[in-house]
Amino acid sequence: MIEAFRVGAVSRGGTLWDGLDLAFDDGEVCVVTGPPASGKTLLLRILRGDRRPDAGDVVVGGESLYRGNAGVARAFQASSGVVPEEFPSSGGDTVRDRFRLSSVAGDGISAKERRRREEELLSMVGMQDAQGSRFSSLSISEKARVSLAAELLRGPKVLFADMLFHNAGGEWTDMLGGLIRALAKEGKTVLLAERAMPERWRLREPGEGIVKGPFRLFRLTSKGEASR
Amino acid sequence: MTGSSLRWVDWKLAPRAMLRESAGRFLLLFLLGLFFASLLLSGGMNRYLSDQWPVTAVLRLSVPPAEGQGIAGKAAGLPGVLSAAYRDPEASWKEFLAAYPGTESLRAAGGNPLPGYVEVRLRPETFTEGGIRAVASVLQPLPQVEKILSGGDALSRQLRAREWVNAILWGAFAFLCACSFSIFRLQEKARTALLSTDLEFLRERGVPARSIVASRASGAVLAGLLLSLAAMGAAVSALSLLETRLPLFTRLIGRAGDLLTLPILVPAALFLFASALGAGAASFLGWRAAQSGRK
Repeated sequence: MIEAFRVGAVSRGGTLWDGLDLAFDDGEVCVVTGPPASGKTLLLRILRGDRRPDAGDVVVGGESLYRGNAGVARAFQASSGVVPEEFPSSGGDTVRDRFRLSSVAGDGISAKERRRREEELLSMVGMQDAQGSRFSSLSISEKARVSLAAELLRGPKVLFADMLFHNAGGEWTDMLGGLIRALAKEGKTVLLAERAMPERWRLREPGEGIVKGPFRLFRLTSKGEASR
Repeated sequence: MTGSSLRWVDWKLAPRAMLRESAGRFLLLFLLGLFFASLLLSGGMNRYLSDQWPVTAVLRLSVPPAEGQGIAGKAAGLPGVLSAAYRDPEASWKEFLAAYPGTESLRAAGGNPLPGYVEVRLRPETFTEGGIRAVASVLQPLPQVEKILSGGDALSRQLRAREWVNAILWGAFAFLCACSFSIFRLQEKARTALLSTDLEFLRERGVPARSIVASRASGAVLAGLLLSLAAMGAAVSALSLLETRLPLFTRLIGRAGDLLTLPILVPAALFLFASALGAGAASFLGWRAAQSGRK
């Protein structure tokens, strides 16, 4: 369980938000929506122990990510996956390199196992036979889906995805939605940051979400039902 | 995350850059190894000088060949002596004629005017004024020895010049080592900058920065050791090849076979380990330089 207590953040000299209380259970999918520059990416970074909040604290499994042993944050980061909003160029240039890097971060994934799962995961996100493709030549949608697949290689307990649905595009909403629900069914927590709820989810799961500072929070149980 | 996979992360993510760098490093280490092995074998100018300047014990005219041989045998057994050879008066005369043609008439007056002599060659490492004095002090008191020729003042000047030349040669070697280390460090810095996104990726996924640095440095040490071993092997092969093609080589540098002796193997092993540690240090310093460049 991830809990944020009275979390506040300051950016560019101004307070983005303050006093946010949030809690995410195991096997829960949560979508945080908010306008551009409201600090969604920053919130995800704070929740995953990558950026100390300017106020409050984040606790995972009863242990603070910021006020104690630094190893707690690292262990949590090691057990989580991140799909970023942007995809800067890197030394490893191909899709296969992305998986290779992910396997280096993961513990004990053999090369054989990596190759097998690489194919499976890429076909799950509609990118079969893309292993040899140059990552930089992919569209934003393809980069987002490849990044998701590469993160899933390590089997993270918690997945943080920043603008995944936005970047992947409307035609992939159903496929990605199904995939994320399947992860939640396995007991994994998925935290998504989006500008707005994906349109097809909005139709299926109507509701306005919970207002938390500048954000709206939409919770979906592992069965895919919206809840408050 | 496993240590071994992190150790070779650069090879996994930038294999082409690593291959290019390794080829360049091999070439540098090969040249350094060639230079180092040549310096070890030759001792700088030591071998050349000791080859050029024998210590000569000129015997008295009345000394029979058997005694001359005995003196040569005694000289050969002295510490620091490489070889000692007796030349009888006839051989001495032939050498004289070869050096000064047209002087045959000197003998017409009353037989061979030249005495026999013993030519003593010192080992390159003991060819010092002290070493020469030590040999002369043993041979000079012998009743069969007329006088000792050991170069006199000319040799003293040569020995002083040798010290300077040797210092310059070793200084050049140290300078080349420092240049190579700087090149390695720049390579590491450039590669760390190239892989910065990937290393940040790992850090964001709970891999501590110090593990990344330590693992990459240990990988660099291992790769450096293998590379310097291969480069040193190639350098020894090149020296062996030169030995068979250029007769002058043996006189200037020495025999490549001598590389397998303990006084040369120990510094060569130290060179290999120093190269490997240098590669590790370059990895660490290159990473630090890349980090400070980002700030």
